[in-house]
Amino acid sequence: MNTASHTPLKGSHTGRILVIATHTFTQLARMKVFYFLAIFAVIAIASNFFDLPQHAGPEALGANVLRSIKSWSLGAMTLFSVVLSIVATALLLPKDVEDRTLYTILAKPVPRLDYLIGKLLGVLMLVFVSLALMDVLMTVVLQIRTSMVLEQQEAMATAMGWTQDAIASMRVETLANGPNGSLQGAVFAVFLRASIMASLALLISTFSSSTLFTTIVSFLIYFIGHFQADARDVYLHAGQAGEGGVARIASLLVSLVLPDFQLFNVIDAVIEGQALPLLMLGKLTLVGLYYAFFFTIASWFIFADKEF
Amino acid sequence: MAETPPAVEIRDLVKDFKTSFRRVPLRAVDGVSIRIMPGEVYGLIGPNGSGKSTTMKALLGLVAPTAGQCAIFGKDSLKVDSRNDVGFLPENPYFYKHLSGAETLRFYGKLCGLGGRILKERVDELLALVDLTGARDRRLGGYSKGMLQRIGLAQALIQEPRLVILDEPTAGVDPVGSRQIRDLILKLRERGITVFLCSHLLEQVQEVCDHVGIIFQGKMIREGRLDDLIAIEDQTEIVLRDAPPELIARIASLVASTPGAAMVRSGKPRTTLERLFLREIREEER
Repeated sequence: MNTASHTPLKGSHTGRILVIATHTFTQLARMKVFYFLAIFAVIAIASNFFDLPQHAGPEALGANVLRSIKSWSLGAMTLFSVVLSIVATALLLPKDVEDRTLYTILAKPVPRLDYLIGKLLGVLMLVFVSLALMDVLMTVVLQIRTSMVLEQQEAMATAMGWTQDAIASMRVETLANGPNGSLQGAVFAVFLRASIMASLALLISTFSSSTLFTTIVSFLIYFIGHFQADARDVYLHAGQAGEGGVARIASLLVSLVLPDFQLFNVIDAVIEGQALPLLMLGKLTLVGLYYAFFFTIASWFIFADKEF
Repeated sequence: MAETPPAVEIRDLVKDFKTSFRRVPLRAVDGVSIRIMPGEVYGLIGPNGSGKSTTMKALLGLVAPTAGQCAIFGKDSLKVDSRNDVGFLPENPYFYKHLSGAETLRFYGKLCGLGGRILKERVDELLALVDLTGARDRRLGGYSKGMLQRIGLAQALIQEPRLVILDEPTAGVDPVGSRQIRDLILKLRERGITVFLCSHLLEQVQEVCDHVGIIFQGKMIREGRLDDLIAIEDQTEIVLRDAPPELIARIASLVASTPGAAMVRSGKPRTTLERLFLREIREEER
């Protein structure tokens, strides 16, 4: 059989990926996933009332409540973004196969890699928009509360006869707990972690036969990711294992395949008022990109030969 | 001048599926060859599980052949560019329910690289063709089965493909919807679009197809031009126009005077595709 030479596909890869991504975003948005923002609003406002009455001085006044707002908000963001990334990704691929809509898409001149990247980008767009909306809400609540705390602190410090320098120093310390660049960096880190989880769920859903399996395995790997660094350290430093080259290679392979989510503990440091260095954020971005790329390419290897 | 490649060329297609429970793989398609020239309407008929859908999927690159080759307009089916010129309507498709009819067509059009005014005009034209202009902004969740099949046919045609593959296009559709789809297939034939369809509704296949293949247990057991297949071999049909009764009488007497020949009846001797199909299946089972 003489097959003619390759002819270019109509339209660009980027165009097709964006069409699938925007469609996936619309699909999920029309599943009313944004309703959870109402729950987040309740959490952000409720976290205002977790102010423990243990004020030793003006500098401690209100510091707890600022931490509480950040802690609850970032916690809720992590929960929502990870759940959304895993469940949405685990749901979309099997649904397209089951409903046979995938046939109609792959019967068009759409490379399978474009389809996979489009689906992943669509989920990530949804997570990004959700996090951005939650971020705006958190920043507004935190901004209002920080202004209130600053006023209270200054009034109390003035009444106690503090010097202007001491008040200015306290102000800097309080502002570190308010909305700032590090906090936005922490939200971005939450997004990066969700991106890793979405691409991992994509990989699992390419060979899994059910949404439930994909979801459970993804969550298991998410939890393992929080402990794998500790486990590796214990293993490498226990007895003779640490001296073995094989053990080190095995450890390296594990970290290449399983993400180490302890790197994202910087989010907790930001909640405590510490700054998030740009270098660290850059490192997290590289880690996020590496795993997203690795999992997507691995998904493609499996999906390219998958039969429907 | 270069020879026009066939719209569909399936050569010695074999497809085995691994099964979890048995070590011996299941052979769904066994040495099937089909050649469809541009402009033909080809009907593939066979019982459930005979390998029709697998053959179509192999042609679309949705499954990889165990052996043999499939090509669309000379392009290997396993390559994405073979899908530039093909539209596909799967059996019982469920499109995205959250999209309206027009949005569905725009989505598939954009996937094919269409955009702007061309896409808008194409969407309007196709909605009119499948008689869904009135339901263009209604979400597919509210469409009837027949409407879904018609929007499915419209999406298959979005990039003006030269070949349309239809897998059971009238499955589960009521007689009225079924007739609408049949009429649409006839319109495609008038436009010179090659159609490859499989259906259980043999009368419909007989109405619209000019070539048919009968597939049974993964093997092609009969194939050819429909008119040839349903012709009765030991009879001859002479169609006359404006023949006076005297002429008919003379022919009848001529036949009567010929040893071994007999006038069976006047009119067009025909069997039905359904009878042919059942006979072939019975013979194969013996």
